[in-house]
Amino acid sequence: MLGARDIHRHFEGMHAVDGVSIEIMPGRITGLIGPNGAGKSTFMAVLAGTLPASSGTIVFQGEDISRLPAYQRARRGLVRTFQLPSEFGQLTVLENLLVAAPDNRGESLLGALLGKRYWMPDETRLVAQARGLLKRFGLLPKESDYAGMLSGGQKRLVEIMRALMLRPRLLLLDEPMSGVHPSIVNELAGYLEQLRDDGVTILMVEHELHIVDRLCNPVVVMAQGKVIGRGTMGAIRQQREVVDAYLVG
Amino acid sequence: MSLLIAAFGFGLVSMSVIALAAVGFTMQFGITNMINLAYGQVMIASAFVAYYLNQARVSVWIAMLGGAAFGAVFSFVINRFVYAPFQGKGTALLGMVIVSLAVSLMISNAMLPIVGYFSVAYRERFSHLLRFGDIALSVNQIVIIGLAVAVMLAVHALLRYTRLGKAMRATAANPMLARNCGIPTNRVIDAVWLITGSLCGLAGVVAALDSDSFTIASGATFLITALAAAVLGGAGQPYGAMIGAVIIGLVTELSAAVWSPDYKQVVAFAILVLVMVLRPQGLLAKRGALAAAG
Amino acid sequence: MNTYYAANLLIFAGVDIIACLALNLQFGVSGVVNFSFIVFQAAGAYAAAVLSMPPDTAPDYSFQIYVGGYQLPFPLPWIGGAIVGGLVALPVGVVVLRRLRADYQAIALLVTSIIANTVINNARPLLNGAAGLALVPQPLDGLVNTSTNSYQYLYIGLTAISVAIVWFIAARIVNSPYGRTLRAMRENELAASALGKNPSALKMTIFVVGGAIAGLSGAILVGFLQVWAPSTWLYPETIILFAAVIVGGRGNNVGAILGALLVPVGFEEVTRLLGRMNIGPPNLIPALEWVCIGLLILGFLWFRPKGVVPEQRRVFPGAPAVEEETRWVVGKRAR
Repeated sequence: MLGARDIHRHFEGMHAVDGVSIEIMPGRITGLIGPNGAGKSTFMAVLAGTLPASSGTIVFQGEDISRLPAYQRARRGLVRTFQLPSEFGQLTVLENLLVAAPDNRGESLLGALLGKRYWMPDETRLVAQARGLLKRFGLLPKESDYAGMLSGGQKRLVEIMRALMLRPRLLLLDEPMSGVHPSIVNELAGYLEQLRDDGVTILMVEHELHIVDRLCNPVVVMAQGKVIGRGTMGAIRQQREVVDAYLVG
Repeated sequence: MSLLIAAFGFGLVSMSVIALAAVGFTMQFGITNMINLAYGQVMIASAFVAYYLNQARVSVWIAMLGGAAFGAVFSFVINRFVYAPFQGKGTALLGMVIVSLAVSLMISNAMLPIVGYFSVAYRERFSHLLRFGDIALSVNQIVIIGLAVAVMLAVHALLRYTRLGKAMRATAANPMLARNCGIPTNRVIDAVWLITGSLCGLAGVVAALDSDSFTIASGATFLITALAAAVLGGAGQPYGAMIGAVIIGLVTELSAAVWSPDYKQVVAFAILVLVMVLRPQGLLAKRGALAAAG
Repeated sequence: MNTYYAANLLIFAGVDIIACLALNLQFGVSGVVNFSFIVFQAAGAYAAAVLSMPPDTAPDYSFQIYVGGYQLPFPLPWIGGAIVGGLVALPVGVVVLRRLRADYQAIALLVTSIIANTVINNARPLLNGAAGLALVPQPLDGLVNTSTNSYQYLYIGLTAISVAIVWFIAARIVNSPYGRTLRAMRENELAASALGKNPSALKMTIFVVGGAIAGLSGAILVGFLQVWAPSTWLYPETIILFAAVIVGGRGNNVGAILGALLVPVGFEEVTRLLGRMNIGPPNLIPALEWVCIGLLILGFLWFRPKGVVPEQRRVFPGAPAVEEETRWVVGKRAR
């Protein structure tokens, strides 16, 4: 589904990503782990297009997207979430989801000027679709709350639902469990499993190794900007380099 | 050619005046993260304080100290009663810009009824002209250059060799860490505003002395020129501000000689906008860190 | 009530309302800190002026030097003003598009407006430099005698129609999915682009739209005042408008209108009233007015940053048909 070849990213003399090549297979949750400063988040940002690669190519579903800006990658189905909460705070939860929907006629300047009669059908349809998602993830009662007022775990869910409104082919999750209350982590992991079963491909950066254990197969390990191991969790635990790098037990 | 050499001479004066203003300004930004848009107005207010002393027969060189003292107190008060409270409240960067613009408008308009619209000048504004080849500078201008050099050395000594200077650099680099290491950041910030405020006041008097005459409206020009030098050198970097002042001083004087004196300030303003758009981190790229030379 | 006084009040109110609606679109809704706003109003005014004036070689006009002079009839100068306002937004917008910290961006734009003002002030052949343009013809002066009360009513009517048109456009934009996308971009540009929104296109578009509306406000103003000089559009004018939007309430049109009435119009009226009472030296009242504007800005930023009319929460008509538990399979829906 996605192939990244020899990605480099340097900035001010530092090689955050130093020649990383990865193949992401469809229908699986691939984990990306490694010690702090390994370059995982930077690599994710490069894949998503938030940061430009200094060199290397990225091929997504047969198309070379290396030169495309982030918003065009998102339109092609490559959607990312962020490690820090990035909900649209002054918009309601429902509005957060509605913004993401790509096929609303009212979203262009012309469409807006043509007025409600023009875009209301699209809007009604999307509101129903968004509510469906909210119901599934248990946040329907909160639809009119300001997204900025939610708890960390709820914000994370809103981000994921937002991404889902785009019907993504590949979802890049940057530390989805960070900032989430431990009691919610299991619930969130359950949702991710459901998504995988529905056929959404996921690449996920994560620190909590028990989550990686449960969800991710295969797993890629990075350290100091390079890939130092890949395979199942079990196989990786055996690799000397990985153990040396950071796994404790 | 001789025109260019003469322009170079004026450039030396310009860069001295700008450096005095820019260093204080950039230190305010580096240590307290405040782009103080009222800086130009404080400069002008201090220049007027010195003017009134000057009218009372005090030599401008002594009145300068009065201006510096006024600048110190005024800047300290503005921070204590306006900037710090808003920052403490968590006001966003843009909000702080609006706050300092509001303060600058209030200062310039509060001065109007007192000072009036007319332009004024110091009694010592004319002085003997000395020639060095193609360069013609007045005694005043030479003293200004010397003053600027002395102040730059003093700032360098402060930052590099004194405990306060080290505390200032630490606070600039990482305020939270500095506080955890036992540095009384609040008192450091107070000191910063007093010191940079006095630089601001001094710079105001010097700039006013160097111009033929000055009015309240000159405040905006002073501010933007200082801002240009500070941003060009790297916001928050005192040595950057000095370099920025050198460049802007020379470029503006050369442009005045080669092109037109009307647009001297526009050149400085244009440099500011270009730097902000093309290379906002300025020349000395490390943001927020007061790095000592050597 | 003196008709001329009423006209003055209403027309200035209309112009300020239009300007605040434009600034609200750029700043309140989209988060673009256009601190060079006054340049767009000025561009529109100059454009309308040179489009409606005869060439500077004409007998009564030869004391001025300026480009243009096409003597076009109404409504062409007003339309031209809007177009020029939008065009000027293109190069300035390039500055805005850079991802800069908000305060840098604001300052860069503020300085840009000062540069524009200084250049026009000094370049006499362009737009008559510091003296500015005078004897700008009034719209429809062939139709109605401009010294009559009827003309005042006509002008008020034209202004009112313009306000209605701008209000219509602004309302449609703000209350649409497009407006929602702009607000999302304001909240978090990075997240918006990760969801497929093109921030550069969005910002540039709203910048041009706002610029065009600002240009129209300038055209209306110059047709009434018949003069326009650099001293009319100094940078503090932008600050008054920002104060208006902040006081009235960001992000919503009602707030923008309220702000326009409270700040620029309110202060004008208070100044006029106090001026009649002859308190203190002549400098004092305008200077105090500015001090009060400063205090007003600080007061609102401290006590009520959301403004008098904050942005409304949008609630959708509840409990419509909810699609049954949808399951997403890549590209199609299962079950």
